[in-house]
Amino acid sequence: MADHVERAGPVVRRGPGLHSVSGGDYEARGVSKSFGGVTVLHDVSVHFCRGEIHSLIGENGAGKSTLLKILAGMLTADYGELVLNGKLLSALSPREAQRSGVYLVPQEPRLMPDLSVAENLYLGALPKGRFSAVAWRQIIDTTEELITSVGLRADPRLPAGRLSLAQQQLLECARALSHGCGTIFFDEPTSPLTARDAERLFELMWQMRDQRLTLGFISHRLDEIEAVSDRITVLRDGAVVARAERGTWTRENLVTAMIGRKLTITRRTRRTAEPGTIMLDVDELVAPPEVNGMSVRVRAGEVVGLAGLVGSGRTEFAETVFGIRRPASGSVRVNGRDVTGASPRKCIDAGLIYLAEDRGRNGIFADVDIARNATSAIVGRLPRVAGPFVRTRKEQEIAQAAVLEMDVRASSIVAAIKTLSGGNQQKALLARWMLAKPLVAIFDEPTRGVDIGAKESIYSIIDTLAAAGLAALVISSELEELVRICDRVYTVYEGRVAGELAGDAVTLEALGQLAVGALWRRQGTRSRCLPPGASCTCHRGGPCCCAAARSW
Amino acid sequence: MPAWGTCLVIAIVAELVYFTLTTRQFAGHGTGMLDLTEQFAPTGVLALGLAMVILTGNIDLSCGANASLAAVIAGTVLSKGGDPVLAIVAAIAVSTLFGLFNGFIVAFIGIDSLLVTLATQFIVTSIATSVAGASPPFGFPSAFQLIGQGSVNDVPIALLIFLVIALLVIVGVGYTSLGRSLTLIGYNPRAALYSGIAIRGSLTAVFTLCGAMSGVAGVLLAAYYNSAQPDIGTDLLLPAITAVILGGVDIFGGRGLMGEVVLAVFLLGFLSQGMLIEGDSSLSITMITGLVLIGALVIKVVFERNFRERMTARMQSLQTLRPFRPPQGISEDADG
Amino acid sequence: MPPRWALLLRRREILVTAVIVIVVAGSTAAHPYFWSSGNLAFIFADSVVITFLALGESFVMIGRGIDLSVGAIMGLSAIVVGFRIQNDGMSLLPAVLLGAAVGIVLGLGNGLLVGVVRLPPIIATLGTLSVYSGLEFVVTNGNQVDTIPSSITNLGSHTVLPGVPVILLLTVPFVLVSAWVLRYTTFGRSIYAVGDDAEAAYRAGIGVQRVLFLTYVISGLFAGLGGVAFLIYTSGASSTTGINDNLTAIAAAIIGGTALTGGVGGAFGALAGSVFLTVTLTAMSFAHVSDVWQPAGVGVLVLLAVVYDSRARAGGRRRSASRQRGVR
Repeated sequence: MADHVERAGPVVRRGPGLHSVSGGDYEARGVSKSFGGVTVLHDVSVHFCRGEIHSLIGENGAGKSTLLKILAGMLTADYGELVLNGKLLSALSPREAQRSGVYLVPQEPRLMPDLSVAENLYLGALPKGRFSAVAWRQIIDTTEELITSVGLRADPRLPAGRLSLAQQQLLECARALSHGCGTIFFDEPTSPLTARDAERLFELMWQMRDQRLTLGFISHRLDEIEAVSDRITVLRDGAVVARAERGTWTRENLVTAMIGRKLTITRRTRRTAEPGTIMLDVDELVAPPEVNGMSVRVRAGEVVGLAGLVGSGRTEFAETVFGIRRPASGSVRVNGRDVTGASPRKCIDAGLIYLAEDRGRNGIFADVDIARNATSAIVGRLPRVAGPFVRTRKEQEIAQAAVLEMDVRASSIVAAIKTLSGGNQQKALLARWMLAKPLVAIFDEPTRGVDIGAKESIYSIIDTLAAAGLAALVISSELEELVRICDRVYTVYEGRVAGELAGDAVTLEALGQLAVGALWRRQGTRSRCLPPGASCTCHRGGPCCCAAARSW
Repeated sequence: MPAWGTCLVIAIVAELVYFTLTTRQFAGHGTGMLDLTEQFAPTGVLALGLAMVILTGNIDLSCGANASLAAVIAGTVLSKGGDPVLAIVAAIAVSTLFGLFNGFIVAFIGIDSLLVTLATQFIVTSIATSVAGASPPFGFPSAFQLIGQGSVNDVPIALLIFLVIALLVIVGVGYTSLGRSLTLIGYNPRAALYSGIAIRGSLTAVFTLCGAMSGVAGVLLAAYYNSAQPDIGTDLLLPAITAVILGGVDIFGGRGLMGEVVLAVFLLGFLSQGMLIEGDSSLSITMITGLVLIGALVIKVVFERNFRERMTARMQSLQTLRPFRPPQGISEDADG
Repeated sequence: MPPRWALLLRRREILVTAVIVIVVAGSTAAHPYFWSSGNLAFIFADSVVITFLALGESFVMIGRGIDLSVGAIMGLSAIVVGFRIQNDGMSLLPAVLLGAAVGIVLGLGNGLLVGVVRLPPIIATLGTLSVYSGLEFVVTNGNQVDTIPSSITNLGSHTVLPGVPVILLLTVPFVLVSAWVLRYTTFGRSIYAVGDDAEAAYRAGIGVQRVLFLTYVISGLFAGLGGVAFLIYTSGASSTTGINDNLTAIAAAIIGGTALTGGVGGAFGALAGSVFLTVTLTAMSFAHVSDVWQPAGVGVLVLLAVVYDSRARAGGRRRSASRQRGVR
């Protein structure tokens, strides 16, 4: 990462007509938050000071994003206090937060696609000129100044929907400034950015820091965190476990704090049976821009993991395999059958199923009863009577049996699935997919938003299924999960398989270093270094790494 | 509030009682009510086809015009001396083709169904007017007229046809793969995609079916009125949509029972017939229909919202900021 | 950054105007009478009613709504105002005000249902369409409006300049005012915001329900004015006036660049779309295409506009999943 150098450049300007603003002194005290029985934050206290870039680090699910959302008024904490400049904030809404000078640049920028860049900046606060008419000339001019000062080069009259993701993010920053916000939080801004775009963002952040603004920052990449932060707070499982100021941390300390020493890591499931034939054979699958040539093989009875950072393209890979996205090149074979680019229906009929990541959007039919949810993938294969007519009683029995087998706790099978807890919903979805009698299953974040009890349940389900011969591919950002249930783990980086860990090499340390980005360094688009024990894949066209295996 | 179907039944009974008591000709000799159903059977058939489309979250504004076209074609074939069976087949075939056209554009080209059927409605209207010509056909063989005006043991044939179709639709939507797919697509198109449901095929099928039912409605109309004016079916669009919405089908798709749509058809049908017999004009009937639609929906929405608001209020009160409370038993930060 | 004029060229109104010019040129080449004061005046006068309806409809559609009752509102306004002119000898200015008032009151009905009760617009306006159509019959009570003094109807046929009927001059100010409101007032811009992303607009502090309510009132207002225009142009009104104009108004707005999904469109688009429809339909009759095919012509034009739109928008436009929902 480039060194921090004093940058001379255009001063970051606030919007016209707004009172001058400096960063706020923002403190969260004892904040706790639960979602449906799952504790996401527990008694978290963090202090964001003026003129500082304060980073939050931790694994996925550690609660960083939730904390920022609470600070910006998008969520309400169950317990705790928010103190801005000495004043206690109550009933914070996003609008209130903005008025108090707090702005959250979200992970996915949310702009109005058809309105111009300039109008997006001044949404809800258009300055007026003569005759109370909107002063477009003035707006466009100041917009140009403002966006140039944040490093965004775009025509202010362009519809915001045409900007690239990186540009949209910069626009969000400009919005924060135009609203006179002095306390700006960034939620994982760099995941989808290229090295150059990230660099630009950091320059902007340093400028803002020098203007005595208050900045909060979340990232998965330790090298970025180390280069950019003045202060670091480490979260783990919803609690603050470490704080450090610039100059007092080491990479090892941070990594250890993030992963922690788990006493309860259960012994890895030892599979006695030898894995069988190759059930899923993906060869050099390409679906730009996220999937850039991935090859994966899963055998019957094996549980294989896909590990990687957020944005590494694993979900896009799964969607391409399953037929939601079109592949540009490569091949997919299920039990020998070619299903490259085939529709989801054809994949399911060939024996491949996909438990999607976002179950609210892509998984459940929220208002439909559990039974119908369970049979939605086998609508064509239900028992019939007198021709095409489904025997609903039989269908319910089938659904009931499947749901019980997956240990779904529900009052009744005809209740709407949205009444179930997250864990039970997930198990109901598992019931749906198992009814399709798959040979290969891709599980994408199978325990996200699921409580501990249901997690164990799901792990044992996956174990049982593998023992019965299912070939399972598990995409997960939870390291314990992968260590616990996988026989083999592929590591994925920027749409390519960067390495493979097998058997006893699948350890928490090895995966942990990957997950916290300890090893990935940005150098253009090349990645370097693999954890000890990982096998190199450059002979298969993956990024070259052999020469410089680092030892920690 | 009791189930929507129950409300509909209560309303039907109430209006039947009201009309029987206030208007002599309504009940006739007991069978008068049955005869009235001939009038709204075509609307009912149209409403059923439309209901299936709306179930998927789409809409078909062209079904009324499609019915007109079917009527005109049937009439034209008959007036050229054709066999009634041929006339019926030709009419339904053409309207089915237009349904297929709609379905293809919506499912495969991906244009919003509101816009597509808006456009096809115009096109079909023109074709119907053109085919009907300067003097639209009328005066059909009595065998054909029986469909719309005849009865079997006092039960009108038109009503029988409607009930048969209603049964097919109720069973079809509730008990076939296609029916299941339609409802799932309506509830959550993305989840339907991930579940492997054939979205394009299902959508094309449902629009085609709607086209076919428009054809049946058109044939019934031509038989009942014994003539085929090119706008004979266009007036049915409004009452048909009203029946579907009144029947509890969610305009955004997913929710809705075909049986309740049938009840709504009867509710609205008897309402308009009763008012006609009382001497109200057809346009004030349209007005009352509109008021019934709005009124029923307002009641439904307000009630549901009250319920939902009470629930969200309860949820929110559980989530408000509470004063600082020391945590239970957890020690300070672990070593860094 | 591309120069100002290049951006202008990509705007739909300019495109439509260009096509209008082509159609006019083509028709004149085949039928010289096409380009005559009488014919052009006729075309403009013919388009006035739809222009008013499309103007109002544009306001609603930009906010991602739809108003299926504009034709009926126009009809009711024409009837009410017509009777006052015919029976009580009302003069032009009070007539216009009365028409506007009728439109506003009827538009209020829509606004309440959509903005306050929050019914889906397609159902709400379908209901009011039924109610207002029925009211048309009730108000006429079997009579018709058939006698409008020539002092008023002349506005429809007399021309101020060759080819420009007086009635067009009455329309243009409304188009200009609408364009101004949509571009230069906070209210106007908030309609675009609500249409593009209502939730984000709400979080930005815009009163979404209030904005929606007002768009329907405005739609009613313009439909009411359209009724007066109808009287001027056709000098008569009956219980069936306007029933078929709802969808034509929507078609004009769509062709002019306003999309059902909201966030785009404008007043000039409504004018351009309406004139375009009239020009094309007139050209069709000049080409001896029977009047029967006029609706088909409108249908085909709408399909073309929509296909062009989706093709044009598919390139480089990010839309969140929630926007896939239709307008209902």
